Amino acid sequence: MRGDSLHSRLLTWLLLPMLLVGTVVLWRAWLDARQTADRAFDRLLDAATLAIAEQAQWQEDRLWLDLPPAALEMLATQHDERVFYRLVDARGDHVTGNADLPGIDLSGRRASDMGYANISWNGMPMRLGVRRSRLEDWRLREPYEIRVAHTLEGRDALSQELFRQSLAYLLAVAVLSVAALIVAIRLALEPLTKLRRQIRSRDPRTLAPLELALPRELAELRDTVNELLARMRRVKANQERFIGDASHQLRTPLAGLSARAELALRQTDPQAWRTALSAMHATSQGASRLAMQLLSLTRLDNPEYQPQLTPTGLVQVAREAVMTHWQRCQRSGVDLGLDAPEGEVTVLALDWQLGEALANLIDNACRYGARHVTIVVTDTPPTLSVVDDGPGIPSERRLLALRPFHRGQQSGEGSGLGLAIVDGIARTHGARLTLADGGTAPSPGLSVSMEFQATVTPDDPPVTTRHSLS
Amino acid sequence: MTLSRYASSSWRRLGAVLLLGLAGVVSSAMAQQDETPQQPLPPHEQAHFAAKTDEGVPLIIHAALDIPYAMPLLEDFHQRHPQYDITYRNFSTLDVHQRFLDAPAEADVVISSAMPWQYLLVNAGHAQSIETPTTRRWPSDAKWRHELFAFTFEPIVMVVSRALEERVGPINSHADLLSLLVEQSDALQGRVVTYSPVSAGAGYTYAIEESRLSPRYWDLVAALGRADTQLVDTTSSMLDGLADGRFDIGYNVLGSYARESVAASPSLRMVIPDDYALVIRRLAFVPRQAPHPSAARRFIDYLLGSHGQRVIAEANELGALHPELDGPGTANALRRAQPEGLRPTPLSPGLLATLDDLKRRALLSRWQREFHDQIAGKPVHGR
Repeated sequence: MRGDSLHSRLLTWLLLPMLLVGTVVLWRAWLDARQTADRAFDRLLDAATLAIAEQAQWQEDRLWLDLPPAALEMLATQHDERVFYRLVDARGDHVTGNADLPGIDLSGRRASDMGYANISWNGMPMRLGVRRSRLEDWRLREPYEIRVAHTLEGRDALSQELFRQSLAYLLAVAVLSVAALIVAIRLALEPLTKLRRQIRSRDPRTLAPLELALPRELAELRDTVNELLARMRRVKANQERFIGDASHQLRTPLAGLSARAELALRQTDPQAWRTALSAMHATSQGASRLAMQLLSLTRLDNPEYQPQLTPTGLVQVAREAVMTHWQRCQRSGVDLGLDAPEGEVTVLALDWQLGEALANLIDNACRYGARHVTIVVTDTPPTLSVVDDGPGIPSERRLLALRPFHRGQQSGEGSGLGLAIVDGIARTHGARLTLADGGTAPSPGLSVSMEFQATVTPDDPPVTTRHSLS
Repeated sequence: MTLSRYASSSWRRLGAVLLLGLAGVVSSAMAQQDETPQQPLPPHEQAHFAAKTDEGVPLIIHAALDIPYAMPLLEDFHQRHPQYDITYRNFSTLDVHQRFLDAPAEADVVISSAMPWQYLLVNAGHAQSIETPTTRRWPSDAKWRHELFAFTFEPIVMVVSRALEERVGPINSHADLLSLLVEQSDALQGRVVTYSPVSAGAGYTYAIEESRLSPRYWDLVAALGRADTQLVDTTSSMLDGLADGRFDIGYNVLGSYARESVAASPSLRMVIPDDYALVIRRLAFVPRQAPHPSAARRFIDYLLGSHGQRVIAEANELGALHPELDGPGTANALRRAQPEGLRPTPLSPGLLATLDDLKRRALLSRWQREFHDQIAGKPVHGR
């Protein structure tokens, strides 16, 4: 955690450029200090050569110099520099001074110019100043060259002094900036800490939205969390209502059973007992079916439930459903039919779930007064539908009909779970559930279709085999 | 002082030197046997102190400081540091300079009163830096880069005969001397003596310093020339002539050497001029190639430390520079007595100008012109 915090990231990426800039500025300051010191001390070389040049003259038929001591004094500061000088005539011959003090190439400069150079002479680093000049006599215009040099103690001391000042200034700036940076990062990351504290201090059972003033970036995060919380609130409300409804639904047959048994126990006629028992048997069967449906609905609603889908033939499933339910429908006067294509239609599915869905749909149709019920299988797209000619569901109530315990009519003995179960099964299969009119006048009827995704491609070997077989 | 302190030959020789009144220059064969120099040593006196411990560390000092003046220092140093085997050689100022150039790795310490020459060597980087607590405390105007150290304070003085002063009044300054020379030039003909700037290095050094101090110096030179001033090469010949009564005024005498001689002859008075007095300071440095640098370091430390400086002060001749010492024989006492006029030659690159060949020729020709023109001019005036 410590290694990778926003805090340290920000600090690192802000400090690294600062360090880089600081280094460059320091380097620049050092160069500037050197330059300033050189400029200041080169003035001394300049003045010394001028003072010497003033004393150069023509005497005894030669270039002559009455060396002014002050010119040499000028070159030494309180740092006691070593001082050297030399006078050279036009032919480069030595006139006086330190005989082997070197010169510098002044070609290309104007005659009275000064030239400066850093040299190392006799193992000592020093600064050399060379002045070219000529005698200002009436006739004689003898050129000559004055060289002066001194060691670098004064220059070094001055440049170090200047550099120390820049360094102190820069250090102060750096300390201030780093302090400001740390405070700024703290302040900028403060809302994050606030958010974390609020989340941590929440009651784990509450799903109330986070109420917290935050900067824009974090406000988006807060809103996302709040949306998630809202969804969880809705899911929880649904679950609570489902549990309430389920308890209610189960309580009614149980209360009926209890009342019937109590009534029967007051009787002494075994015939009455028998009647009561068979009634109780029917009621308990209904209750048991309700419990089964609740169980399968719960299972289908479980988001963790990811069944392994296998290639399944829709026509086969439909045919089996017709065979299972035909007799019961026949008894209650309902005509159950099948409308399927020639070949098999294969999708990835669980055959028992599809069977369950068909059972629920057929049962619903029978309960709500349909006379004709047809199971329709189509090929493209792969669809499994149940179409009836019952009263149907008005289109504005179709979505509500998918919710558990919602019945299209208040009468009747359905549990209200059928369409919810079908919806769950469709979701498990990734199929699209459509409720539409049955399309046969006078009653509107109802068509419930599950449209599967064509996940099985034609070149899939098992499917090809099936096609070729059928 | 015990005999055992000296090598017997040196002791005998030294005794002889002292008896001769410092006049003779003795270079014994024994002394030259000790080393095998490439070139024979120039004429010199030598003193030797054998180490008192088994493993003696040699310490070789080349100096232009007469042995009687150096002796108290060497004795005291040897007593405090008996482990050193000290060889002290006294040359003339020019010889000590030339000897160093010939054999830069021979001496551990080089001492000379010829300040420009010493400065020239150290400026060229021939000395090593000595940084010890003592040298760091040493006044900054008496050292240069921790390489060159001044350790004495010797005014340049006039010596006048009391008989002359009784006739013409006291002579206490250069101005007094100038007016006396102008007024009494006939009476003083040949009675004044000074250094020859042409043939004596010290004379040249004083002349260039004085000419820098005041343009009136040239009036003085002209007046000296008119009085037919005698020009000599050594302080001792001036002092001898003064003691003999051949001269009435000795101008520009090294005070440290004059003091003893004046004390010995009641007819003479030493005058530290109160308008200005040059002060020379003997300079010591340790050559870069000194064979025994740690011994040299110890000696410099001693020379500038309170022990060495107290010995200098008590001998009352060379003048102790140590800022904490006071009383007779110290620079502080002299400065108090002469608050205005003392002009110690500064340790600065200006000294290099003194040694410039053209400068020397220019100064000497001016000096000779001023000095001799008046003699040549006299007949013109007389005509």
